Amino acid sequence: MTASLSLAAGASTTALLNRSKYHVTRRLPRSRVAILGAESYSHNLENILHAGLKLFRLDVRGKTVLLKPNLVDYIPGNHINTHPFLVSATAECFRRFGAKSVLIGEGPGHQRDTVLVLLESGFTEELRQLKVPFVDLNRDALVMTPLLAAYMGMKHVWLPRTVLEADFVVSMPKVKTHHWSGVTLSMKNMFGVVPGAKYGWPKNILHWKGIQESILDICATVPVHFVIADAIVAMEGNGPLNGKPRPLNRILLADDPVAADATCARLMGLDPARITHIRIGAQFLGNLSIERIDQVAEALCAPDNPFEVVPEFRHLRLTGLARRDP
Amino acid sequence: MTNFLDRFSLQFSGDLTIPWFSPTTQRVHGNRQLNHACVQELIDRQLPEGGWPFTSDTAQSAVEPTALALLALPPNSVGKRDAAIRFLLHMQNANGSWSAFSGDEEEGSGLTGLALFVLNRCGAQTMVSNRAVHWLIEARGRESHWLWRWKFRTSDRQVRFDPDKFGWPWMPGTVSWVVPTAYSLLALKQVRDISQQHLVRHRIRRGVEMLYDRICPQGGWNAGNGVVYGFPLAPHPDATALALLSLLNEPPNDFLTASLAWLERRAETCFAPWSLAWAVLALDAFGRPTELLTDRLSSVVDPAEIKDCATLAAASLAFGCAAGSNAFRVAHET
Repeated sequence: MTASLSLAAGASTTALLNRSKYHVTRRLPRSRVAILGAESYSHNLENILHAGLKLFRLDVRGKTVLLKPNLVDYIPGNHINTHPFLVSATAECFRRFGAKSVLIGEGPGHQRDTVLVLLESGFTEELRQLKVPFVDLNRDALVMTPLLAAYMGMKHVWLPRTVLEADFVVSMPKVKTHHWSGVTLSMKNMFGVVPGAKYGWPKNILHWKGIQESILDICATVPVHFVIADAIVAMEGNGPLNGKPRPLNRILLADDPVAADATCARLMGLDPARITHIRIGAQFLGNLSIERIDQVAEALCAPDNPFEVVPEFRHLRLTGLARRDP
Repeated sequence: MTNFLDRFSLQFSGDLTIPWFSPTTQRVHGNRQLNHACVQELIDRQLPEGGWPFTSDTAQSAVEPTALALLALPPNSVGKRDAAIRFLLHMQNANGSWSAFSGDEEEGSGLTGLALFVLNRCGAQTMVSNRAVHWLIEARGRESHWLWRWKFRTSDRQVRFDPDKFGWPWMPGTVSWVVPTAYSLLALKQVRDISQQHLVRHRIRRGVEMLYDRICPQGGWNAGNGVVYGFPLAPHPDATALALLSLLNEPPNDFLTASLAWLERRAETCFAPWSLAWAVLALDAFGRPTELLTDRLSSVVDPAEIKDCATLAAASLAFGCAAGSNAFRVAHET
């Protein structure tokens, strides 16, 4: 379903979405977010990340950690994907923290040739040096899984075995605007666990069932234990493929996907409460309110110029007083 | 100077080059050896039920790798081919369609065309053809429904396409996409002796029109339409190659010329086995030179290292082109 149709549906859709349809509650009493400065993509990221992750006292000893970056397609010059340096730095950090194994998994939503995306976006070389296995989630063994929320009207979804067997899932989005969903952050990034082998390229059924609804159902069913968001060079405008690069020089860490996405939205100068999946997700998946989010590193400040968005999402942009006090 | 026996022993040492042959002969020989290794690897990965999994470390049979592997198996692999055919026949749903993998829902998938195409190529179509063709005639992208045609014409103008020109979706209830449309066209264009031949022709025309309608401005095809929010999308090598193969017998036109030119340029810098293999298959089918691309493919294919069974099969099919056997070109000549 497109953004324009979502808007046309208007109040009735909002009312339907607002009815609680979840069978699980993961909202923490309080959430922790760390905004870390990072000037560029370099191998120094590992030091920055390591220091940031220590703030969370994560215990991943003996666990299988799945890193889920955002790999959609490769277009030379466009900052579409989570940068491979950030992913490799993350893998190293979790190894140092004692993880039993670290895997990288993704099911690109647009490009069928996953190897092509990995090769041309620089992942293959990083993975080779790091010796971290990559799992193509589009073509993994599939398990029929009951959905733990019912916003899109499906009872179950096929999911990759690797995702279901992971002990600790880290969503690693590229911070971007998105022409159908407003933004694509840690929650929208989880579309990548839905297998193309079943649902196609792109996973068009999720669009028809409602993007916001699908995000909620998938995030209810596949817990996101941690978020590491790539906002060093973000994307604004006509994302997720053809937007413009927007340097924020930040990495964002969080123990809650809703808090992560709400904070990313504020960093983008957008109002998270106007983004449907973040607002509804705050009922059961995490915290939206600033009062319930502890900023454990840099202070949160909105940009002078909010991110550009396509016209359908202009209402997301924070202006005036709201921008100064996000 | 080495004598003949020394040279002979060189062949058996695992070195694939034969120093006294011409470069062309060496190339063909090397590709043949590599193809043999791909086929052997495929044979080793066939599951007891006759199908192939998506990847070598899983055991869930799936239609796309099975169909492509079956196409890649040589005629003398009778037992393996028969098992694969039996698996595909068993996988056909009551409504005539094919699902994507073992255990999948039985509503049908965008791989129905591929399954029918391959069974037809293997001479096993008679039992399944009528039901499958009927399903393919009826299946269509959601944009073909009057309500969505109206919506795409009036309120939703960001995705620029003509909804009167529709192909096939990945899943029922969704819009048309390039790959399932190409697979479906390949299958329907082979159909012979069907009572609904006029419906088949009509459906083929709509599908062909859809591909031309969704073409990227520079030629080639992305996953679906070529322009979103005023931005031209970049073509994908594999989708472009498949679309071209499905349009092989269409009258020459600027769309085909531009797409072939794009694919040739793109393939020059492509090192991914799946995309490269499809580029070889399409360019070879259109009579374009593919020797250098096949050499590149041979440099990036290590059969034991390629976990993805469909990629291994596609590579094998591409190596077959060097030996004068293109499974997709032959199909259109019959």
